[in-house]
Amino acid sequence: MYEKVMSLNQATDLIKDGMLLGIGGNGMHRTPTIFSMALTQKPVKELKICGTALGLAADILFATNQADTAYFGFFGLENEAGLAPGMRKAMEGAEPKARAIEGS
Amino acid sequence: MGGMWGSDLVALRPEFFRAMKSPFDGTEVVCVKALVPDYAIIHVQEADVYGNCRILGPSYQDALLARAAKKTIITTERIVGTYRMKEEPKLTAIPHFLVEAVVELPGGAKPGICYPEYQAVEWPKHKAYQKAVKEGQVVQYAQSMLEGRL
Repeated sequence: MYEKVMSLNQATDLIKDGMLLGIGGNGMHRTPTIFSMALTQKPVKELKICGTALGLAADILFATNQADTAYFGFFGLENEAGLAPGMRKAMEGAEPKARAIEGS
Repeated sequence: MGGMWGSDLVALRPEFFRAMKSPFDGTEVVCVKALVPDYAIIHVQEADVYGNCRILGPSYQDALLARAAKKTIITTERIVGTYRMKEEPKLTAIPHFLVEAVVELPGGAKPGICYPEYQAVEWPKHKAYQKAVKEGQVVQYAQSMLEGRL
């Protein structure tokens, strides 16, 4: 075992353009939102996102158009938080900026 | 796997699901293409400096996600001594060898929920997020939420 503690800045620098990221948690529950917010401060783009029940941390990356593809069973915030606004903005409309691969 | 029979997904997603004969007994089985994330990004309540993690409350599919990915990045509410894992080894949801980075990040799931640390959504901050999405101001919103933590 070796020590792996690093800053948020160093950890987000591990993420490169086009990577497939699996995002943990569920809806509004224990999703790595602050990590996603830190990624929005970086130029990284064309990310692919996967998860069983993608929620807020994934939504942030679609809101900034840094993610262009989502593989999921469910994508939303649930209960009072409702639908995922960033995902909807990226995926809906005549010229969507992101693809949904539902049921993958 | 046998559980896919009866699901429309087998026909709808040929890029992920294919039926073929089992090499063992010749029966029809559904094979599922694996997604292999470059990184799993998982927020936990407790991790040690080596990346051994405990998840308190619901774990969802996070232990599987860490195993599916090439490597895992952990953000954690707090860094604990390895004695916590030694006390009850079976509660280590994610072992150190799957982990590449550990970031101590209290409040790392806000404005969402992280049981039992914060058990309700911070609604004013979430409503500010919804507004930021509409206005295309999410980068600025994120900057204000990071509060110098980057």
